[in-house]
Amino acid sequence: MWRALLLVLAFWAAPARADLAYVLNSGDATISVVDTQTRAEIRRIPVLREVHHLVVTPDGRSLVVGDSGGNELIFLDPESGAVQRRERISNPYHLEYSPDGRYLVVASLRRDQVDIYEAASLNLLQRFRQPDKPSHVAFSPDSRWAFVTLQGSGQVAAVDLEARQTAWVQDVGPEPAGIIWHRGRLIVGLMGREDFVALDPSTREVRIAFRVGRGAHTIFPGPDGRTLYATSRVESRIAEVDAETLEVRRIFEIAGGPDCIAFDSEGRLYATLRWTGRLMVLDPATGEHAQIRVGRSPHGVFVMPRRPGLDAAFAFQFPGARSGTRPMEAPPPPGLAALDGYVPAVPVTPVRVEAGSPTSRLRAPWR
Amino acid sequence: MWDWIADRYDLFTGWAFEIVLQPLMYRLGLMDWADEAFLWMDFLVFGLIQVVVVVVVCLPLEAWRPVERWESRRKVLTDVAYTLLARLGILPMIGFVLFFAAQSRIEAMIADSGWVPPTLETFLPFLREEPFLALLFYIVVLDFAAYWHHRFQHRIGWWWALHSIHHAQTQMTFWTDDRNHILDDILAAAWFGAIAVLIGVPPGQFPIILLVLRLAESLSHANVRLDFGRVGERLIVSPRFHRLHHGVLSVGAEGKNYGVLLPVWDWIFGTADFHRDHYPRTGDPSAPRAYVEGGWLRQQAAGFREIWRAVRGKRAS
Repeated sequence: MWRALLLVLAFWAAPARADLAYVLNSGDATISVVDTQTRAEIRRIPVLREVHHLVVTPDGRSLVVGDSGGNELIFLDPESGAVQRRERISNPYHLEYSPDGRYLVVASLRRDQVDIYEAASLNLLQRFRQPDKPSHVAFSPDSRWAFVTLQGSGQVAAVDLEARQTAWVQDVGPEPAGIIWHRGRLIVGLMGREDFVALDPSTREVRIAFRVGRGAHTIFPGPDGRTLYATSRVESRIAEVDAETLEVRRIFEIAGGPDCIAFDSEGRLYATLRWTGRLMVLDPATGEHAQIRVGRSPHGVFVMPRRPGLDAAFAFQFPGARSGTRPMEAPPPPGLAALDGYVPAVPVTPVRVEAGSPTSRLRAPWR
Repeated sequence: MWDWIADRYDLFTGWAFEIVLQPLMYRLGLMDWADEAFLWMDFLVFGLIQVVVVVVVCLPLEAWRPVERWESRRKVLTDVAYTLLARLGILPMIGFVLFFAAQSRIEAMIADSGWVPPTLETFLPFLREEPFLALLFYIVVLDFAAYWHHRFQHRIGWWWALHSIHHAQTQMTFWTDDRNHILDDILAAAWFGAIAVLIGVPPGQFPIILLVLRLAESLSHANVRLDFGRVGERLIVSPRFHRLHHGVLSVGAEGKNYGVLLPVWDWIFGTADFHRDHYPRTGDPSAPRAYVEGGWLRQQAAGFREIWRAVRGKRAS
């Protein structure tokens, strides 16, 4: 009883340290470490050449950053940002651990290769040559399949991780980029179109899932498991999507090219604005937002919770709060719209999120 | 101050990309090249800034103490065309489009072989935490490579047939720096690409340093009576030092002062000439007329003819 009370007291008395946001600046070979409370960049970590994506190790002890231009993985302590070790591997552009933690799959965009590494040892198990520009990776929940978007050829490749061979390649539409496993299907952003499509891996049927605007790009499940957030590059917006119905609920107009999104434990979005060198913080509950100046062409982002009771495992403990594109397990949504002639069911009025200055404070322009 | 400038630069390039280039790429079905296009636009804007800075610095110097005065500057206009094509990203973009697939294949083959290309920081780990120092190391190594690249351009007959375009200019100014045949540019890309496989490419996050390097290279070609003094002449290639290399008596294999940025390589390998205190006329007396009088297109066409003649042994080196 007393012990429990002491634990509760300790929890409340423990100093709430600010979360840290890690932002990969692909254009100037650095990682910005941002204090999310003061919204100040507190540190720049130099890397070799060109960092794009990052992922948390299955044990939650490391943040693994891919330096594609430097042919290197950098392992960081997510608590402090200290470099733990470096590993030389070929052109790590996008990378993900399989849900069972056995494999690390790496897409090499510029070398047309997909590599499967043994996660623990980083031994290269298999290298697949792909038709053109393997871009983003997702997994089936049972870790049997890895799915890779092929940007150059407009396809998704399904890699059988047990047999270690490409099982099939499916046309999905022009310039596919972001991909997630979502309730038995794959949701894929098509940069050459306005929409995300859903690919059923069992039948390989492709249907339009929802429309976000020109240059549909990446998609991330929100921490509550009930929302997806999808970006469009040309329209420069983030769409809030109902995870159940795939209906677009709200659209946030955000100049600067929103790309990757991470979440803190309170559901706030941290989106990299690729073309303007900024990290945007957006609270979808209140509409408050701010922008923080980081390095050039910021791409991958991760928020490390540092408040009592949370650690990097937060990244894959909550229903939607998965590391990168890890699968959300839930029943599939009811019927998806047919591929041709799709119109969003509900007209969505865009919400404009002003660019703001690097020091702008949180504010809610549409309330 | 610098941070403010960098921020304005980012906002401008971001705005231009979002408003102009990206919608165009979407319309053309080229969105999978968006990242490369952003880099190219950065190259273009930065190239424009480079040209402006070089002009602002070099033009007054050339007006102040010119080595030569000419009634007509028509030949200089050809070099202006070379600079704009090279610095505003037009030739690099064409090269990128033509060779990107080949480059991807070559990099993939290298990866397949098990070779993971290292970087200079792999060999000198202390450079990891000091990217600025790493850049300085790269500058030295690449300048050494540039010295030998330049010597081979002069020593190998068919290569000199191309490089002679650079030397044929009799009205040498700061614009002459980019005056090269496109085949010569491709060979340079292959040369430095091979070096990149061995030591990686230098960090690119120090635009001011790159700007200064660019200025130094352009200044070395300037039509100005300027040297850097007894010590300075041995540290950085000056207009006087490089003009001796372009002198009419210093062409082909007879050349001196091959250094691009650092004269130390000429010093070490016995090709330095620090003692000539004169500013010779420039040009290659044996160059074909098109190299001297022609515009960009005519010189490029002549370059193909001359290399063909050289390969067949019908051109005097």
